[in-house]
Amino acid sequence: MSVIEIKNLTKYYGKARGVIDVSIDVEQGEIFGFIGPNGAGKSTTIRTLLGLIYPTSGSAKIFGKSCTTNPEVRQEVGYLPSEVFYYDGMRVIDLLRYSASFYRKDCTKRINELAEIMDLDLKRRIDDLSFGNKKKVGIVQGLIHGPKLIILDEPTTGLDPLMQQTFFDLIASENKKGATVFLSSHILREVQKMCERVALIKDGRIIKLERMSALQENNFKRIKVEGLSDLDKTIFDMPGVSKLENGGKTASFLYRGDINNVIRKLAQTEVSNLSIDEPDLEEVFMHYYSKDG
Amino acid sequence: MNMYLHELKSLRKSTIIWVCAMIAIALMYLSLYPAIYRDGAHFKDMLAGYPASIRAILGVTVDSVTSLLGFYAMILAFVVLCGGIQAMNLGMSILSKETRERTADFLLVKPVSRAAVVTAKILAALTMFLITDLIYYAVASAIAFMVRQSSYSGGLFFMINFTLLFIQFIFFAIGAVVSVFFDRLRSVLPVSLGTVFGCYIIGALIAAGKDDWARFISPFRYFDYSYIVQNSRYETPYLITGAVIVVVSIVTCYFVYVRKDIHAVS
Repeated sequence: MSVIEIKNLTKYYGKARGVIDVSIDVEQGEIFGFIGPNGAGKSTTIRTLLGLIYPTSGSAKIFGKSCTTNPEVRQEVGYLPSEVFYYDGMRVIDLLRYSASFYRKDCTKRINELAEIMDLDLKRRIDDLSFGNKKKVGIVQGLIHGPKLIILDEPTTGLDPLMQQTFFDLIASENKKGATVFLSSHILREVQKMCERVALIKDGRIIKLERMSALQENNFKRIKVEGLSDLDKTIFDMPGVSKLENGGKTASFLYRGDINNVIRKLAQTEVSNLSIDEPDLEEVFMHYYSKDG
Repeated sequence: MNMYLHELKSLRKSTIIWVCAMIAIALMYLSLYPAIYRDGAHFKDMLAGYPASIRAILGVTVDSVTSLLGFYAMILAFVVLCGGIQAMNLGMSILSKETRERTADFLLVKPVSRAAVVTAKILAALTMFLITDLIYYAVASAIAFMVRQSSYSGGLFFMINFTLLFIQFIFFAIGAVVSVFFDRLRSVLPVSLGTVFGCYIIGALIAAGKDDWARFISPFRYFDYSYIVQNSRYETPYLITGAVIVVVSIVTCYFVYVRKDIHAVS
């Protein structure tokens, strides 16, 4: 059985587009990436899934049930919103206890474990915490009841790189214990690192849904070359090169294919500087966009 | 139960402040009562000199104003105004604060239905009104007993005080139902103050005309204290109207809130 089952989900806010005809299935034990630029419909999809908003048409189910008609299914769901806000005047521990009181399990032990892992001071007042620390409260809060499905919406914003690593390790270990993870992000790197399958969403529509490995095979690299003298234009005349911008000594292009081919080519010229980067998300999108349209 | 207790806790401070304000009103005015009683005739003359509409706004009935219950009815009008503001404010904020303070993403993804959330919140608010009114009633009774100049009916004193709770329920329900129709209610106080004061003024102006039909417009006019003191009972049509307003509002409130989209933080 699919843990998440979204079928032809469409949501309009009045006339404004939320998402259009989104269909996603997430299997048990999977880490699923959901990626797209801001305003593409990631949060709309997640909020419908959680029962915070109602679909215009189509359905979104968790463990085969809709959250709006069966709020009980949320017993097994942990959710980390992209921005966390909590009740004024509460200490971290009060909030976590309040959160735990909604679940049938005894979460006390897990609260302490998670606070330890995330380096969170339970006695502080939430109002006094920095954005990053509030985010940590959100992470702990979403995991205390050992959910079978973890839904993360832009989880790493506000966390420092070390903490991001700790967080991803934590999610990986929850996944090993059997939790299914749904990770929404606009940072490709995060998704690449964690996920087995990924859905790309743009302007409310899913434009690509495939295995990470498949996506990586036809992965693009953004290559920038600086030559000692003016670069010979013909060296970039090879399959896989696109969006070439060649201006005298420097050239920049997207390359898709076996990276060795391009390195061999470049080795024939005198290079003063070379960088090979992951293309940013926008470029990946542009690629899929132009291919589909 | 956890949500109910959480709400009670978060309402604690504001409730204490409201109780203190209401007690302060009663204490201030009731402490004048012995002096006014001694000087009854002059006081009546002075009040009779006021235009009828001003007397109505102040809640004064000249004939009975020197009796303890008559005088207290005048004070209670202000206390009820205070209680009305408290109730409308609470009604408007209790559900909307989750979206305003952006905690809806916490509470509404918990494994509880929205209806359960609404129930817990309404019960917590009603509990707070009961507590407010009980404390107020106890203190007001004690003050009234101390300043009395002759004996008065404790039963009637209770009956007129009980109207406070009715009016709070009505304004709470109105506030709650208004709030669910807004996606983002940025500030609650101006709306609730405006509505409650508006009702009070309309009620007072209508009271001057004594038009029975028009009294339905303002909940403040559902309970006529001189009628209660004279007849030892409430006026049924207004009581029913009040109850209908409460029930319809609360039912609508559930209906709308359960089906409402909870929008993302922005």
